[in-house]
Amino acid sequence: MFNNGRIAVIRNIVRAALLSSALLTVGVGGALAEDTIVWWDFLGGGDGVRMKALIDQFNTEHKGQVQIQATTLDWGTPFYTKVQTSTAVGQGPDVMTYHESRIPLGITTGALSVITPEEQAASGIKSSDFEPANWKQAQGPDGKQYAIPLDIHSIILYYNKDELKKAGLLGDDGKPKGLDGAANFDAALAALAKTGVTPLSIPTADGATMWRIFYTLFNQQNGAQFLSADNKFLDGDANIADATKALTEMNSWVKNGYTPAKTEYPASIALFTSGKAAMHINGVWEVPTMVDLQKKGQLFDWGAIQIPVFYDHAATWADSHSFAIPDRKGNEVPAAKRKEVLDMIHWFNEHSLSWAGGGHLPAFAPVRSSDDFKNLKPNSDYSSLAATAVFDPVSTLAGVASPVYDAAGNYLMPGMNGEMDPADAISQMQSDLQGQVQ
Amino acid sequence: MTAATDTAPIAATMSPRQYRTIKALDIGGLIATIVTVLGGICWAFPLYWGVITTLKPEEDVVKPGFQPWPEHFTLDAYTHVIFGTRIGQWYVNSLVTAISVTIIVVIISALAGYSISQLKFPGRRLLWWMILASFMIPVPALIVNHFVLMSQFHLINTWLGVILPQLVYGPVTVIIYKQFFDSVPKEFREAAKIDGANEFQLFFRLYLPMNWGITTALAIITFIGAWNQFLWPFLVATEEPMFNVTVGITQVTDAFGVKYARDLGSAMLAGLPVAIVYLIFQRRVTQAIMLTAGIKG
Amino acid sequence: MTTITETTSQQPLVERRPRREDRSEWWAALVFTLPFVIIYAVLFIYPTLQMIWLSLQNAPLIGPGTFNGISNYVRLFHDRLFSVAFWNTAYFVLLSVIPSTLLGLFIALGVNRLKGFTQSIVLACFFLPYILPVSVVYRIWLFMLDQQFGVLQPIIAIFAGTHMNVFRTLSLFMPAVAFVTVWWLTGFNVLLFIAGLRNISPDIYESAALDGASRWQQFTRITWPLIWPVTVLVLTIQLILQFKIFDQVYLFGDGGRSDATMGMVQLIYRNAFQKNMGGYAASAAVVLFAIIVVFSVLQYQLLKVRGEK
Repeated sequence: MFNNGRIAVIRNIVRAALLSSALLTVGVGGALAEDTIVWWDFLGGGDGVRMKALIDQFNTEHKGQVQIQATTLDWGTPFYTKVQTSTAVGQGPDVMTYHESRIPLGITTGALSVITPEEQAASGIKSSDFEPANWKQAQGPDGKQYAIPLDIHSIILYYNKDELKKAGLLGDDGKPKGLDGAANFDAALAALAKTGVTPLSIPTADGATMWRIFYTLFNQQNGAQFLSADNKFLDGDANIADATKALTEMNSWVKNGYTPAKTEYPASIALFTSGKAAMHINGVWEVPTMVDLQKKGQLFDWGAIQIPVFYDHAATWADSHSFAIPDRKGNEVPAAKRKEVLDMIHWFNEHSLSWAGGGHLPAFAPVRSSDDFKNLKPNSDYSSLAATAVFDPVSTLAGVASPVYDAAGNYLMPGMNGEMDPADAISQMQSDLQGQVQ
Repeated sequence: MTAATDTAPIAATMSPRQYRTIKALDIGGLIATIVTVLGGICWAFPLYWGVITTLKPEEDVVKPGFQPWPEHFTLDAYTHVIFGTRIGQWYVNSLVTAISVTIIVVIISALAGYSISQLKFPGRRLLWWMILASFMIPVPALIVNHFVLMSQFHLINTWLGVILPQLVYGPVTVIIYKQFFDSVPKEFREAAKIDGANEFQLFFRLYLPMNWGITTALAIITFIGAWNQFLWPFLVATEEPMFNVTVGITQVTDAFGVKYARDLGSAMLAGLPVAIVYLIFQRRVTQAIMLTAGIKG
Repeated sequence: MTTITETTSQQPLVERRPRREDRSEWWAALVFTLPFVIIYAVLFIYPTLQMIWLSLQNAPLIGPGTFNGISNYVRLFHDRLFSVAFWNTAYFVLLSVIPSTLLGLFIALGVNRLKGFTQSIVLACFFLPYILPVSVVYRIWLFMLDQQFGVLQPIIAIFAGTHMNVFRTLSLFMPAVAFVTVWWLTGFNVLLFIAGLRNISPDIYESAALDGASRWQQFTRITWPLIWPVTVLVLTIQLILQFKIFDQVYLFGDGGRSDATMGMVQLIYRNAFQKNMGGYAASAAVVLFAIIVVFSVLQYQLLKVRGEK
């Protein structure tokens, strides 16, 4: 009969599925002495290419001992959701990449496991090898370590040497001069505008970029603190004033016509690479874009430096890709595997020079102070920012694709583009974020 | 009201006013036709523009001016995706899961729709209202529960795990089947019953064959829906070989920067197979749908 | 969907059905509906009950929580974002359901007149967008409307005086997203309407034409009333579907003023996946479900009454 036949087919399918999933959980390498590290990351684009090369190198060097089996997933909320749901039911990888800015939320949702000092020492991982701020960002409120940094990535100022020279803004060393200090920067923009070029292109339609630039300018002011120790956002009049100052400065660029309003991310890059804009503020991850274009002979003489000091001291927004070991409920990563993973993390840190080719700054100090890195252009031009990098506020509301980033889209973006008065935007953002604190 | 039944020219049987009206109608008809065809061209323009953009090099894409035809043809937007990723495997996964969902959904929906339409049994009303209700629940609300369920059955990262929750994504199939089965004239049923047919024969020999058109249409709609799923296949697949195409292309970019053509290219690769299948079968499909309507008449 | 020529039920040849037949219908119904009911019970009923239970708890996305009654719902009604999301969704529904239904009808009327190869091509032009996944639709339109490089910007400049970033201009956001959605999904309506139009016998039109009826009169007196059941079906399906809008609104609003542009499903998504508030998100889902029920029943009754006049 029709129905019985279908039941039998279904039974077979279920059996096959159970068998195949059993095989998958056991791991194909069961018969060999070789171990497998299951790895999840969210690195697409040029980052993905570079990481795959590093993984291949690792696998070649460790053939017969341990192999990485890597899967790349969609960046942002989908990745973190998947990690959370998988670990909650005892699934998930042995190691994963994780934005340091997301660690607070990761700890609260129970996705991350503690990496003990003993484990670190056993694999040669030392806190002294990393910038203090970078290392601390990977810790929880209990002071325990939940991740090991791989890189520091930030925003930088890309510039067109020819255009800057025309406006008299290029020093003899090929680096821009006269950009430090908000008044000087504005004057420089005016000088560039006079030569007929668009002075500065920024992804003004992108909330994430708004956040990064705002956070940079905000933290360059003495005493500015976005999130206080008792979980208050922009606490006090001084902080509000600092924030308003930063946003007003950003808005002035659009108001004076130096920066086109509401420009989408790819369009803002195209404006720079086509020579229409003299300067461009964006993340370090676009360095390979420029490098590749120049190799093809399609780009002018360009350079990149740390964001100038507008106010009291140097500071640049930064986030950090780090490695974390998930806390799989009921199916924890066994101790032996953890050791392999931590050894692997140490290996990646030691070999992070090629990762720097993606524009990032290696978090591992020995690599950053090596001669090879010092000769790496343009990274060495802006590696100074690592010392004064400011990381996202430590809060479950902060981090990639978080309410803070949403608030940037809701308030900072209209504030910069002239749709909202900067003072209004800041006060609304403050009350919005404060209202979401649980 | 007279209907012209003979073959004499119509003009001979009507007043001059009527004739003029008919001639005027023809001009109106011509305008209607032109408007429709022009409308179709405008409607399809974005598709054309999307495809054309993927065949241009990135620099040309951001050049000022309107380039309706590429100056330089290139397949760069596609080469990395096709050769640098496992897109072949992803296509297989998409195909297997989409076809499975389609077959299973069409079969059980037809059976259920038939029962609600033609059979009397306790709980019939309740079932119907529940199906209508399920149509009104947004999918993201149930996704996490599905995930936990699939993990309890040990079906994470398997084809079956991808397929099963999708079976309840389309209650509209049952609803449409019920409506169509409702409109099969009752004489057929009575006559067949007199001949001693049981329900199984009624369904397979009578009702289903009379509704091939809507079955085809529903199969296509279901297939398209299953092929284009993202969130669920993303959650349940933990390893790349198990991705389907829509999930796989989200991490395919070989670089950052200006990549309009490449983004569109990989998106096109996700949607193109279904479009091609439709174009091949479309006359069949539309004829089938319209034929079904004709049978009712 | 009732056909144009009503089905007539003839007198049954036996006055009263014997008991045995009832039983055999039950048995057949059981066998026929069992696969559906099992799948449905496990994969729909059970998760939905779980969701309702979750909405009464203060719980994360996944994992145990504490019972707190209806406080999630109370909180929802005081949530500024809830009313924003609701009105955005209602606005979107208004902008997309009626235009796509009417457009579907008129396109169907036009396509119905064509013949053969032309008809196939033109129909394909209108239907192909429906096949595309939302990511293709999103990328095509984002690029076409790009403020710097979009091919449609010159046309926009004629009306607005300058290039505009359509999706970052609050007043244009919903209309633009609705426009893209109509482009994407109307093909489906066209198909249904064509099937319905084919049911109207051409004889009726011929007689009306001979009687001197104008094109407009033919439409209002013949086509419109006879196609009404299909129109109702299309409107109802579209209403329910668009109330659940998520993908386009989320994609086009990402990185912008998402608080002002979000729809209801996005509210659920954000609370569940971004803020890890599973219970709260579940309550939003239940409320959305209730809203959809109310609106679709309302619309159905309204249209039925109008149709019977």
